[in-house]
Parts: sequence; structure tokens; C-alpha cells
Amino acid sequence: MKKQKSEHELFIYKNRNRKIKIIVVQVLILICFLGLWELAAQLEWIDSFITSSPSRVIKMLGELKEQGLWKHIGTTLYECVIGFAVSTALGSLIAVALWWSDFLRKVLEPYIVVLNSLPKIALGPIIIIWVGADAKAIIMMTVLICIIVTIISTLGGLMATDEGKILLMRSMGATKRQILTKLVLPGSVPTFLSVLKINVGLAWVGTIMGEYLVSGAGLGYLIIYGGQVFKLDLVMTSTVILCFLAAVMYFAVALVERFFKKRSF
Amino acid sequence: MEILKMNNVSLTYQTVEQETKAIENITLSIEDGEFIALVGPSGCGKTTILSLISGLMKPSGGTITLMGKPVERPGSETGYMLQRDMLFEWRTIEKNILLGPEIHRNLSDEVKGKAEDLLKKYGLWEFRDRYPGQLSGGMRQRAALIRTLALDPKLLLLDEPFSALDFQTRLSVCNDVYEIIKSEKKTALLVTHDISEAVSLADRIVVLSARPAVVKKTFVIDIDAPTPLKRREKSEFGKWFDTIWKEVSV
Repeated sequence: MKKQKSEHELFIYKNRNRKIKIIVVQVLILICFLGLWELAAQLEWIDSFITSSPSRVIKMLGELKEQGLWKHIGTTLYECVIGFAVSTALGSLIAVALWWSDFLRKVLEPYIVVLNSLPKIALGPIIIIWVGADAKAIIMMTVLICIIVTIISTLGGLMATDEGKILLMRSMGATKRQILTKLVLPGSVPTFLSVLKINVGLAWVGTIMGEYLVSGAGLGYLIIYGGQVFKLDLVMTSTVILCFLAAVMYFAVALVERFFKKRSF
Repeated sequence: MEILKMNNVSLTYQTVEQETKAIENITLSIEDGEFIALVGPSGCGKTTILSLISGLMKPSGGTITLMGKPVERPGSETGYMLQRDMLFEWRTIEKNILLGPEIHRNLSDEVKGKAEDLLKKYGLWEFRDRYPGQLSGGMRQRAALIRTLALDPKLLLLDEPFSALDFQTRLSVCNDVYEIIKSEKKTALLVTHDISEAVSLADRIVVLSARPAVVKKTFVIDIDAPTPLKRREKSEFGKWFDTIWKEVSV
């Protein structure tokens, strides 16, 4: 018995060691990348006017702070989160409606397929004219990009419910509503969580694309503006902030996922 | 007492291409406490018969009565058990077992108490808070049977309930299920293509013909043994197997 225990301890030790190694290498890559970038810029191997550099990004951050950095971040974050929430909620509701009605699903199928393959950016001018050249247009763009994928993926999950389980519930005399709430919806939670993750990425695409088209503030605006006046420091800095925000939002969704995996319902 | 009576029941499936006669003029009656097995070539409409009895489908002709009342829709008089256990992975064993009462909005203390008794009696009490993924195949099938029993059905409909299990487990689960059904004094109708399973379990075996299914012959199995496993050891077992096998094949 004693030998077995120590073997297990060895396993845990090895396992932990491996995890630490992975994190160390991950951090090292980041440091090397930033260090090399800075070094190359300092030694003028590359033209830091075009490539910027970590120190210039930090300097830019300081400047931006005085010029309403929080307003830009707030604007983009607001558009992205609202777009994400609306498209996820509305898309899921539509998916449930399509699951409920065979007829509706068959009727709408070709429309959804066409809308899915249509590049939503093509609708940009129409959106601007219809809803106005402000944050509403950007949210609209985000919703358009996310909602079709949400509907298709969620519906796919709902429809993939085990026929045998549906038969079991019907044989117990369950109503369609009971089949939905007790079987189909709880069974589709994994699909829903993966849809959330996909939507985080897509919501950022929609928001930034929307800001490229029309905006007076926001990170997308800063990137486009920086590109136009050839201020690559501004472009790089905004991109770095975007990376950071997208990561934070992804981890928030990961937390939601962990919450769902822990409880039964 | 007569639990089930099927009188000249037939069913025709409609598809765009054609009409298919699945079963024709099935007449069958089951007494209280009987264990009946339906055997027949695969695709002969055995499952269709169970669907009709449970009220999931309506016959195109003939009548089906359960305890003297015609079957209109699925209800708690029949309990359907399928090939796979169909336990919901996100529910604990106890919650799975209470699914039926939950659907009937009847989660009274009495019903819960009965489910608890069943869990205790059949060795799943310690596992009531576990999830199906944490149980072995045999235990899962036992949980599925208890879920069916929680609604206190008069007639159990077993649709090849052991076919998804490996052979070793199948024999012991088969034994298990038989003992539970007998000790709960339930009436059961088993559908299977496994003749040895039918011979080891049933009091009466009904052989069906190929599609459209009609009742070909009925055999009363009189092997004197207390459990399916004991039956398999008896010498008559082989004889009965041969008889039924020949009847199904020709």
C-alpha cells in the first residue's frame, strides 16, 4: 500500500511540474516576443515608425489616458456587450421557436441559409441609413453577424436531442412544453455554452467592423483614425487593448461555463 | 384479471412512396402477473405493437383495451422501457427516477417515499445523488427500470431492454430485472429477437410472422425454475429454444 501511495504522489508531482512548465514557457514566449520587438526597435533593425514598439505603446497609453481612453474603451465595450447579449438572447429564442414549429422551420430554412452566406458588412450602408450613424448602427451590425450563427448552432443542438429520450418522455405522457423544458433545453446546455464562446469572438468582429464603417469614438475608431494619420503607435496600442478586452470577455464566458457544469438542473 | 386485450389490431404506415402494412389482425390478451415475450424476425413490427399499446400511435383497425378501458393516449398505466436506458445525464439518479411523477405533476411525499423504497430495495440508494455517467451499465438499466416503476404502471412494455449491454452483463441484468418485476408483481410484455432471452424470461411466448406481422403461434413455457439464470441450466431450455427457433425461422 505504501508504495502505491508514493507512486500516486509521484504522479501528482509530475502532473503539477508539467503544468508549471507550460505556464513558464507561455510567459517566456511573451517576454521574448516583447523583448525582441523592443530590442529590434531600439537598435533600429526595424523602423519603429511603422512597427511601433512596446515602449512607444506604453507611452501612447499614457497619452491616451489624458485624451479619454476610458471613453473609447467604454464605447466599444458597451456596443460589444449589448450586441452580444441581444444576439445571443434573440437568436436562442428564435432557435427554440424553430424547434417548436416544424412548419416555420421548413419555411424559413432557405432564408436563413442565404442570410448566413451573405457577408453582413455588405449591409453596412443600409444599416447606417436605416438606424443612423451612431452606436445603434454598430450594435445592429454586431447583432446581424452573431444572430444567424446563434440560430443555426443552437437549433442544431436542440434538434440533436436523442429521439429515444423524446420517445420515453412521450410514453410517460409528457407535453411538448415539458419535453422542451425538461429534456431539450437542459440537454442543449453544452451547445449553448459553445455558442456563447463563438459569439464572444464574433461580437468583437461585428463591433470593430461597425466602428470602421461609422463611429466617433471607440477602439475601432482609434485604429482606423491611427491608420489614416499614419500613427502606428495608436493602432498598435488600441489593438493591444482589444486583445486584453477580448481575453477578459472570453474568461467571463468560461466562468459561466464552469458554473453550469457544476450544477444539475 | 385481464390487463390487456388486443382485438384484431392492424396498423398501416403511410409514406409518400407507399402504404406499408406493419401488423395485421393481432389478437392478444395478457392476464395479471403474466410475463409475455413477443418474438419474430427483425423488422416484423414488434416495436410497433408496443407503441400502439402505450398509446403513442393509434391503430388503423381493431381495438386495444387496458384494464377494460380503450387506450387513447400515453399515460401512467403502461411503463415503457427502451433498448438504451435513456437516463438524463444532467440529472442525478434520484431526479431521473422521479421524472415520470414530475411529468404528471405528482411529486407528493407518498410518491417520493415509494421511489425511495424502490431505490433502497434494489441497491441504488447510495447512488441516488450520483449522475448516470458514474454508474455501470447494469446499474443504469436497473435505474431505468425503477424510473418506469415509479409511476406504478399496470403493464411494463420492454423493448429489447438488454440489447445494448455486453453478454456477461446482459445475463445478470436480465436476472435482476426479472426478480424486480416479479417481486413488484408487475405484468410485463417483452419484445426481443433474442430467443434464449425470451425462453429464460417468459411464461408465454408469442411468435410473430414476418411483416405484416400476424400471430403465428403461442407457446406456454413450463420450465420449473425460479430465475432466468436457473432456467438456462435446465435441460428443457434447449428443447424450447429449438422449438421457438424453428417457428421463427420458417
